[in-house]
Amino acid sequence: MPGQFLNRSWLALLGLTLMQPAPAARSVSGSVTAPQGSPIADAVVFLQVPPPAPAGGQHPTALVDQVEKTFVPGLLPVVVGTYVRFPNHDQVQHHVYSFSPTKSFELPLYKGESAPPVLFDKVGVVKIGCNIHDWMSGIILVLPTPHFTVTDANGKYVLDDVPDGNYTLTVWHARSNVKPEDTARQIEGRDDVANVDFTLTLSPARARPAVHGSRADP
Amino acid sequence: MIPRLARLITLVLLTCCAASPSAHAQYEVEKDSSIWLRGLVDVRLVEGGPGASWTDRGPGKMRYGGSPTDTGFARATRLVLSQAALQVGALLPWDLRARAQVNIEPDIAGNYRPWLVEATLRKEWGEANRGFGLQGGAMGLPFSLENTGPAWTPAYTISSSALNSWLWEDFSLAGAEAEGWYVTQSGIRLDALLGAGYGGDQIGRILALRGWVMGDTLAGINGDLALPGRTDRTDIFNNRDHRPTVYSWLSVGDAAEIASAKVGVVDNRGDESSPGVWHTHAAAVGLVLHPYPRIDVLAQYLDGVARVRSPANDSAMSACYVLVSYHTLRQRVSVRYDSFRVHDLDGGPSTNEHGHAVTASYFIELGLRSRLALEEIWMHSYRQALGAVNPTPDGWQVSYRFRY
Repeated sequence: MPGQFLNRSWLALLGLTLMQPAPAARSVSGSVTAPQGSPIADAVVFLQVPPPAPAGGQHPTALVDQVEKTFVPGLLPVVVGTYVRFPNHDQVQHHVYSFSPTKSFELPLYKGESAPPVLFDKVGVVKIGCNIHDWMSGIILVLPTPHFTVTDANGKYVLDDVPDGNYTLTVWHARSNVKPEDTARQIEGRDDVANVDFTLTLSPARARPAVHGSRADP
Repeated sequence: MIPRLARLITLVLLTCCAASPSAHAQYEVEKDSSIWLRGLVDVRLVEGGPGASWTDRGPGKMRYGGSPTDTGFARATRLVLSQAALQVGALLPWDLRARAQVNIEPDIAGNYRPWLVEATLRKEWGEANRGFGLQGGAMGLPFSLENTGPAWTPAYTISSSALNSWLWEDFSLAGAEAEGWYVTQSGIRLDALLGAGYGGDQIGRILALRGWVMGDTLAGINGDLALPGRTDRTDIFNNRDHRPTVYSWLSVGDAAEIASAKVGVVDNRGDESSPGVWHTHAAAVGLVLHPYPRIDVLAQYLDGVARVRSPANDSAMSACYVLVSYHTLRQRVSVRYDSFRVHDLDGGPSTNEHGHAVTASYFIELGLRSRLALEEIWMHSYRQALGAVNPTPDGWQVSYRFRY
């Protein structure tokens, strides 16, 4: 009998636990547009929240692939403390490098998946390139927060799982003429679903055009 | 004097400090420079066979032969500058790309005069899956499967195969080419290129008069090559009959380039009635396989004919090779088998020759910009006109390469 009582108690406790309303998952959504209203893709919207300490020394990992002499993705936002791998799935060698003050590194001529991961331990922009294929260019945006998202082709974004509290929401784009801190918007703790739109002015794009034909190597 | 020097140094330092960039803005993206530079220097310890190399106007089949002595040539180990290359690229208006490369190859050129390896303008439309490109300027053929390393150096061995040694030493044209590429829904990549250029009127002469060699010469449009047993040299760029060389290149493979087949055809359309003009045409087929992530396999075959009215040196030539290469992150081991042949077609001074070779090489990347490479070539060749003085061209090279 005591055993039956204990079992019932545990079941009741479990039931109560399951019946507790889960904390509302806050989300922030909106759009990023140019002053004339055209959508801006590949803008990174992020919360100014300190990053959680790595649990047990485990760092987040991410990946920038090299396919058809292109970095994929061309823009990778990560939280500070992330290890990024750079596999090369082309059949030619690449020499990945960055001379950015945020993170300077080089991976000598290689192909395949054998290059060691690189730790991005400082907040900022890291521009990466290939020393052989000069048009290959990518950006790793190292953020102080794990709460970020990237706008789609329509300039829309949704940032889920926003923790409770008051925060600053910021937007960044590689060609933005506005500093991220000048785009800051306050998110109040009471808003379960917030809608925040941004307007950015972008400088004209002029990337080095790629070479896809037979003359691409070296 | 010293205070003046100190003031000057202080002034320079202050100027540098004043000119240095402001503090790094955390989220600011560095701007791409519209001009970029790269360089490569290759210094080697070499030991060739006892005879004179073709670069010393001897019968040798490799770039480095014996060293000159009082009594002729003798096997010797020596330190040489093999190559210094400078590449410059620029992004011009309308997304035009400009690229130029100059090389210094003292033993091949016979001096330290820079050779213009390429100087091109290129424009592409489209993207990786479907596109079209135009390129014009001074350039070689795109047929080589081996010369895909930095500054067009061989990517698998120090010396190219006989086949690709010829393609890179004898072709430098001034012209234009168009290229289209398309990836089908089933993932097959098709690439077709058609080009024409002036300056190919001596193509093939070097093969008839000297024969096949193995090396890593990169032709310059302003360069010339030594001819064994003669005092003159043959121009790489030579335009006498004003007929353009035409060439085409087709490639079919899977989008991931695990396997691809290539076919190239070139015809310099030389007018044999013009004095000193050679009419040379050739076709090359090749296969590139990457069956496993660390394994590269190349095979290529070339067949052609070079004709000249006077003197009678008409020749048919053929060459092939198979290369297998294994690599890890920093190291590469390659083995290649070469076979080559020249067949005299007209009974004049014999151009007959045949030979084969095995090349073994080992590369290791040291740090970020340095590479140490070892290579040994064992060759057996016979050239009828040389009779008993056929060389025994074996040799090894240790190369240190720095690139920026």
